[in-house]
Amino acid sequence: MRDHGRIEELIAVRALDGLDGEEAEVLAAEMASHGPSCEECRRLEVEYGEVAGRLAFALDPEPVPAGMEDLVVGLATGSAARLSAPAPGERRARGRGPGGVRLRPLVAVAASIVLFAGGLAIGAIATGGNENEIPSDARVVAFQAEPGAGTLSVAYTPGESGVYIVGADLPALPAGQVYEVWMIEGETPIPGPCLSPAADGSLVAFIDAELATTDVMAVTVEPETCSTAPTTTPVFVADLTTA
Amino acid sequence: MEDALLLEMTRSSLTRGVTVAVDLSDARDRELVEAIARGEEEAFRGLFGRYAPTALALARRVVRQPFLAEEIVQEAFLAVWRNPAGFDRQRGSVKAWLMVMVHHRAVDAVRREESQRRRAEESQRSDPVVVLDHADQVAEAVGAPQEREAVRNALGGLPEQQRQVIELMYFDGLSQSKIAERLDLPLGTVKSRTLLGMRRLRSAMAGLER
Repeated sequence: MRDHGRIEELIAVRALDGLDGEEAEVLAAEMASHGPSCEECRRLEVEYGEVAGRLAFALDPEPVPAGMEDLVVGLATGSAARLSAPAPGERRARGRGPGGVRLRPLVAVAASIVLFAGGLAIGAIATGGNENEIPSDARVVAFQAEPGAGTLSVAYTPGESGVYIVGADLPALPAGQVYEVWMIEGETPIPGPCLSPAADGSLVAFIDAELATTDVMAVTVEPETCSTAPTTTPVFVADLTTA
Repeated sequence: MEDALLLEMTRSSLTRGVTVAVDLSDARDRELVEAIARGEEEAFRGLFGRYAPTALALARRVVRQPFLAEEIVQEAFLAVWRNPAGFDRQRGSVKAWLMVMVHHRAVDAVRREESQRRRAEESQRSDPVVVLDHADQVAEAVGAPQEREAVRNALGGLPEQQRQVIELMYFDGLSQSKIAERLDLPLGTVKSRTLLGMRRLRSAMAGLER
């Protein structure tokens, strides 16, 4: 039987989200060397993942703010406009922290964006308010990708916080996998949100970040638990320094 | 219905040699996830009602910003709605899957902030850091349900040094290298304490109901 000591050590730390980028790569390499059929590797991942998930229950539950359940359900089902939850503008103002990432009410945002085959056109089309519109002076950069990977663009206003990611014709990913956005500063990838396209291959997301120091944006396919460092080759790359 | 599902899952677990117990609570959770996959809103509300309070506690504990924590919980539950097939019944309980998603997003948020703050606070990085012992804070809840008590007992039963690194990693969202830096320990020591602590927790939690 192969030695799993090193892998167990890394899996235990990863389960607690404590791995640094280089160690994540070491673990990925170790796992690859054991192959996808390594039962012991899988057992360790399951068991330590279960331990990590259970640790949350050491904390006292927090009362959920009034309206939050309706808001989340409304966002999920596309009926957020009918909710009595805090207004989107209010939530954004209160919730905006440095680097915080959120998905906006996707239906409203999607309604403000029109995708064309040759590029990205932006306009307000029956949105619920200006807060969900992409500014008309936004800089739009198309990601480069292999044929068949779909199209993806990033829209942002230089010097301002707020980045929209808009995609179309994105292929469905296997179960348990998501697209993860990376903002690369020099050689350091800063993780962005993990995203799944809609059934029709479209995707709209908002990142509460500022791209002044970002040289390149990239998107990789990662496990749905998201990764702290890229574990696969990017499927989309956008060079923001030359656009 | 639940008994049949329980039996099936137990058999599956035994076949795989996974040393975790299965109970009706997780059977119910799995039914909810299956119903969510069918687009049933009530099931989504059911799962939210069961776990949003704990998810919120976890997110707040890690990011320490109430509204950012709400966004993280919101994002995690939306991920469940959008991709319920992401739950793999072979890989553990629904509640652990959900909390792992919340934790990962919370840690990402903390590290993203840290990255953005790094340049501005370069000079403060060498300042001494007071390491809080959160064990008391974590363990002082009154009237916790059985599971909470069991998890707290498992955590409280760890040797102090192991508990410290696990709490810094999990509840404060620090990476192993940051912990080594903070505690002025060799990285290898942090790794070994983490592994030993996690092994103990795994043993202690192996008998817990899902």
